[in-house]
Amino acid sequence: MTILKTLAVAKWEYFEKIKTKAFIISMVITPLIIIAFAVLPSMLSQQEDESTKIIGIIDSSQNYFQELKNELTKYKFKNDQPNFVLQNLFDSSLKFEDLKKKADKKVFDGKIQGYILILNPRTDSLKFEYRSKSIGSFSDLNKLENELNNIRIKNYLTSAGLSQNIKEIVNNNSELAQIIIEEDGKESSSDFMVVFFSSFIFIILLMMMVIYSGQMLVRSLVEEKANRLIEILISSCTPEDLLTGKILGLSLLGLTQLFIWAMIGITLAGAAVIPYTAFENILPMLIYFILGFLLYTTIFVGVGSIVSTEQEAQQVTSYLSLIMMLPVVIAVPAIQNPDTMLVKILSFFPLTTPSIMLLRFNISEISIPEIFLTISILILSIVLMIYISSKIFRIGILSYGKRPSLKEISRWIKEK
Amino acid sequence: MLKVENLTKKFNDIVAVNDISFRLSEGKMFGLLGPNGAGKTTTIRTVLNIIKPTSGTVRFKDKVINEEFFNVIGYLPEERGLYKKSKVLDVIMYFASLKNMSNHHANEAANHWINKLDLSALKTKRIEELSKGNQQKIQFICAVIHNPGLLILDEPFSGFDPINQQIIKDVLLSFSNSGKLIILSTHQMETAEKLCSEILLINKGKEVCSGSISEIKRKFASNNIKIEFEGDGTFIKNMSFVKSVDSYNNYAEIQLEDSFTPSEFLKAVIDKIEVKHFSIVEPTLNKIFIDVIKEDSNKK
Repeated sequence: MTILKTLAVAKWEYFEKIKTKAFIISMVITPLIIIAFAVLPSMLSQQEDESTKIIGIIDSSQNYFQELKNELTKYKFKNDQPNFVLQNLFDSSLKFEDLKKKADKKVFDGKIQGYILILNPRTDSLKFEYRSKSIGSFSDLNKLENELNNIRIKNYLTSAGLSQNIKEIVNNNSELAQIIIEEDGKESSSDFMVVFFSSFIFIILLMMMVIYSGQMLVRSLVEEKANRLIEILISSCTPEDLLTGKILGLSLLGLTQLFIWAMIGITLAGAAVIPYTAFENILPMLIYFILGFLLYTTIFVGVGSIVSTEQEAQQVTSYLSLIMMLPVVIAVPAIQNPDTMLVKILSFFPLTTPSIMLLRFNISEISIPEIFLTISILILSIVLMIYISSKIFRIGILSYGKRPSLKEISRWIKEK
Repeated sequence: MLKVENLTKKFNDIVAVNDISFRLSEGKMFGLLGPNGAGKTTTIRTVLNIIKPTSGTVRFKDKVINEEFFNVIGYLPEERGLYKKSKVLDVIMYFASLKNMSNHHANEAANHWINKLDLSALKTKRIEELSKGNQQKIQFICAVIHNPGLLILDEPFSGFDPINQQIIKDVLLSFSNSGKLIILSTHQMETAEKLCSEILLINKGKEVCSGSISEIKRKFASNNIKIEFEGDGTFIKNMSFVKSVDSYNNYAEIQLEDSFTPSEFLKAVIDKIEVKHFSIVEPTLNKIFIDVIKEDSNKK
């Protein structure tokens, strides 16, 4: 009998919410925002300026100009147009200060983008300066800096009388490639995009969903409290039925949302925006996702039943949302150091378990006992939280006015 | 039959309801009256099994009220409001499903009530598009859709125009006659007086007066008369057995000293003025309410 009522509540919550404009909008907008966050910055920084830059150089030693000019010819746009054109601004007939003034003027007149100033070239206090009107592109400066240093080292090695061979060895950089190994012998190279999309996005999605549906839940609870609908409801079913029904309905709503987002994700993967590997661990990740959602939603219900006005609801939900954002914040350092003790500990702390586990799945291998243990902890905390929340809920939904103190709430929880 | 015995509810140290007993029997609408904050809502909530009493029992059909009774109780709370964004029929069906009605039955009952209360044109509208009176009708339907054996109504008439008030009154009377138990909580004394056979008046959580309306009226009947006359009535206020008088040109309301009867008064005046109308005034429930509550409050 009570299951029927729980289902009736769940059905109502699900269908009434899914029909709202706010829900439909959020369903489309949220992934758009996330994709914008993920893709735009990297697109912007990778976007190349397709114009050749004229760069001056003042080098009293005249050791750098020719070499740099040669080295820079290797940087070209796709159409073979060079990235840089180097212009020698050194004039032995002028004093250093006048040279600088002349070069500055050229910059302001727009004849050159900027110029490289080499100070004390033949001494230990050698300094490179790039002088321009505005801060230059990071990748351009990086190239110039690399080449200048290479030339500096080469010059030094030449003067020390080392052979061409050794010079090349010194100049050759080897990159450190990251390979993730697994016990079954599989190897994969880690790609930031994969980790980002498959883990971080999941966490952000989880939190956005929790916050969004949590707020929706609290708002509807406040409405039901304000117009005493709640009294009709709990004169028809127990508060526990009502609470379970609400959580169930909301979870179904979340799953629907997730399903639609997954569809969008897979479509994007088809369009090669998101790598397919991002969906490799989808099943265990889904479990953490759902359990996390259930846990957070239950907390929202308990806390939401205490407030009785829209303002209070906003206050409380924004506090809760802040707490919910914590795992997202922790995720950033955790993505860099997935195997530290703190991350391990946080994996077993129910509030952070879902997000940390979502992260770790794609960064390193997780042992089966660990998976079982964390899932058990999560389920246990959900059961406990439902118990506590329903106690608070039972009394909270009938109390109006002054917000109860923690002492009162703990008494509610103890009350039979 | 609903029997409430020695009901007491304490919230921490505050006694909201203090040792209240009453019983409802078939065919007799029951009025739960009292000033604001008297403990009516708490009493209702206990009967609804929303809150547990500190002590005392609520029995319905000789069984202590519990979750089994959810489906036989209908409740209309004082504050009105429904899911504003939802459609009329959806809302009614939701509340019906919470009372474990099958879809088929719920649909049938919903249509019956929608037609009866003249709402058929609004079936697919959103609640927020409806007038206040029509929203109230929907809420009334939600409270009665499952044909409850026990109906608890808190201020069911507020917000209704006289025509709709009449419709609801007729529905309630037919319910009562068909054997449903009805608790009516209201501040409209006139309505209570007309509809209820039994009342319980509470103040500050305690019973101050209870019983059938006629009994109570008899008990509180004061020696009041109304007289319409022609001629000079100024002498009335100087008569020795007249306690107080509220007189107009051809009309007076008179309170007599307790030891005198209205007939003696009539005998004394009949020769001096031409009496057009003479009646003994029964106190209205409204007056009893005010007097009793005042007296009760003064005691403390």
